[in-house]
Amino acid sequence: MTVQIVKTPAEEALESAFAAMRDGLSGAAGDFAPALRDAAMATFRELGLPGRRVEEWKYTDLRGLLRDVPEPIRASGDTLSETDLYDVLGIDLDEFLAYRIVIADGAFAPELSHFEGTDALFQVLPLSEALANPPDWFREGFGKVNPPERDASLALNTAFMTDGVVIRIADGAKLDRPLHLVFITGSTRRGMVTNRNFISVGEGAAATILETYGARRTPDMLRNAVTEITLGHGAEVEHLKYQNEGRMGLHLSSWMAAIGPGARYRAFQFSIGAGLARNQIFTRFTGEGGEADVSGAFMVWDEQHADTTVVIDHAVPHCKSRALFKGVIDDKARGVVQGKIAVHPGAQKTDANLMAHGLMLSERAEFDAKPELEIYADDVVCGHGATTGELDEDMLFYLRARGLDVNQAQALLTVAFVGEALEKVECAPVREAFVARAAAWLGSDKS
Amino acid sequence: MLEIKNLHVRVEDEDTEILRGIDLAVPKGEVHAIMGPNGSGKSTLSYVIAGKDGYEVTDGSITWDGEDLLALSPDERAARGVFLAFQYPVEIPGVATLTFLRTAVNAVRKARGEKELNTADFMRLVREKAEALGVKQDMLKRGLNVGFSGGEKKRNEILQMALLEPTLCVLDETDSGLDIDALRIVSEGVNTLRGPERAMLVITHYQRLLNYIVPDRVHVLQEGRIVRSGGKELAEELERTGYAEFGEGKAA
Ligand SMILES: Nc1ncnc2c1ncn2[C@@H]1O[C@H](COP(=O)(O)OP(=O)(O)OP(=O)(O)O)[C@@H](O)[C@H]1O
Ligand SMILES: [Mg+2]
Repeated sequence: MTVQIVKTPAEEALESAFAAMRDGLSGAAGDFAPALRDAAMATFRELGLPGRRVEEWKYTDLRGLLRDVPEPIRASGDTLSETDLYDVLGIDLDEFLAYRIVIADGAFAPELSHFEGTDALFQVLPLSEALANPPDWFREGFGKVNPPERDASLALNTAFMTDGVVIRIADGAKLDRPLHLVFITGSTRRGMVTNRNFISVGEGAAATILETYGARRTPDMLRNAVTEITLGHGAEVEHLKYQNEGRMGLHLSSWMAAIGPGARYRAFQFSIGAGLARNQIFTRFTGEGGEADVSGAFMVWDEQHADTTVVIDHAVPHCKSRALFKGVIDDKARGVVQGKIAVHPGAQKTDANLMAHGLMLSERAEFDAKPELEIYADDVVCGHGATTGELDEDMLFYLRARGLDVNQAQALLTVAFVGEALEKVECAPVREAFVARAAAWLGSDKS
Repeated sequence: MLEIKNLHVRVEDEDTEILRGIDLAVPKGEVHAIMGPNGSGKSTLSYVIAGKDGYEVTDGSITWDGEDLLALSPDERAARGVFLAFQYPVEIPGVATLTFLRTAVNAVRKARGEKELNTADFMRLVREKAEALGVKQDMLKRGLNVGFSGGEKKRNEILQMALLEPTLCVLDETDSGLDIDALRIVSEGVNTLRGPERAMLVITHYQRLLNYIVPDRVHVLQEGRIVRSGGKELAEELERTGYAEFGEGKAA
């Protein structure tokens, strides 16, 4: 039985926006996208915005928190420059040698993107083009990479997606530089931006992929970003994300990963922006001998809310997963980590562990951790745990007795706390940028 | 001069007084030793001098160079030259020893109005001092005190003291955990810091340390009071007799 609940203004706005936009969205003229969008919108109509009643969203009441929905933005027409990229991301792009693909607001920005001479390694298509003229491999895989069941935020993404990056990395290709996917909003108007990425990593290929999200001016964008990624046999991928959206904004994000046999997937998300951030990561082993590390760190203050929700599906035997999340929470901010390890029937020799640790810098801060094990096999090694703590008084005194003032001492200990997670990042320039950002966060410069 | 007058201290939220009226004066240029049985309040005294939270001073005063220490935060005291070598140095995972040393040295230099050291100068200084104290370079790369042996932690304390150049040094059982060679090396490190501008308070259970760091005065602390004071021969006497005969009211 479905309980009929009154639609919120935000739900109504989303439905009518879809009706108005449908025929103008990317790929509307083709035979692929419209059906996907309609099905997704039907799912959304049925589910509505997730609120407290939905177990997976019980700490993040999107239904209650999302008051209204701004108009969707595709290309805003505001031009962005290299300097804007630097200001928003805080990563020195001159120093960071990467293949860069920029999505400005809701559209691919070729003038800011640089990935010349890489055809032998990978193929890049803007999502808008792939939706209009889908290649066979895209048509077959898109939307089917380990999607969560009945997830309203994914449904909204599929319904409204405008642009994003579609990448196919060739079998055996070893990328000599990271792929840097930049998602930036430059619009002066408040708006809704919906990005979707689809990445297929060939057999034996190796790549580092960094996604960065930020807003130039408008602090209260509503972004919904989804990345689907498949790893072929023996592929190795480090998949990183830095989220520093405007602090009044909403950032909904889902990563869906399918890890092939013997493949190694390392995911890490560092999240400091947005008023409300929901980071979902769904990973599934699809072949034996796979390894995954799904970790992250977040630092929030004021009234920010950061939710990380992870499901690691051990669907086949002989796979190994590790997950470590660390959150620093100041003022009245709230951190949430929900992590589920699901060991399917027959997935023997699974080796899985998930930990979540919260550091509270204020008495009004809140940390909710819900690690879960769901095990349907008997020959497995699984562990999980969560802790919440404050800075250690004895450590603080020791540092202050050596001349560090209270801010310096707190900063050093806080960076040491998140540092344990940040150390997981293998790509050195990104790791160093994260550590530097974490150190600066506690100083005056939190935004 | 360090001047402690009628110092009464209890632990916050508890009734029992731990320090019950301490009077002590250590002029610059002198080294005083404090001996006393377990639980007599030696570490408490050192913490109150350094400014640790959780202790309530119910009466009395502590001044250094005429300045009221009790009004200052721990880092302000460090900037004024106060240094405590901890009986139990704290392990801090994730904070590299070298990073910590550099932050501390520059914090103190800045507060004292001196120029901060650049990386090259700092590294030169650390290498020199660490070598003199037998602190290995690879230890400096590890987390602060993490996985250090008892003796290594104590050497690291004295290394910090050598780098921060304090003027009031309080050493809380720096000798415990040190092997015979380390005791000599560490004592030499302490002795090189002795000088007309420095006062030192050395807490120990053993007379042996005082053969290396020869004190000007020895005080016996018992049940939160100084019950007897004398010259360095008092330490030898204690070694023979123990603390039993120094009861209440026998203070010299
Ligand atoms: N935070 C505290 N809470 C409760 N009791 C305390 C606290 N700190 C110290 N005490 C008590 O005060 C007394 C003095 O302790 P202190 O550590 O100063 O002794 P000490 O002379 O340094 O001993 P030792 O020779 O064993 O190092 C002890 O009885 C101890 O249990
Ligand atoms: Mg003690």
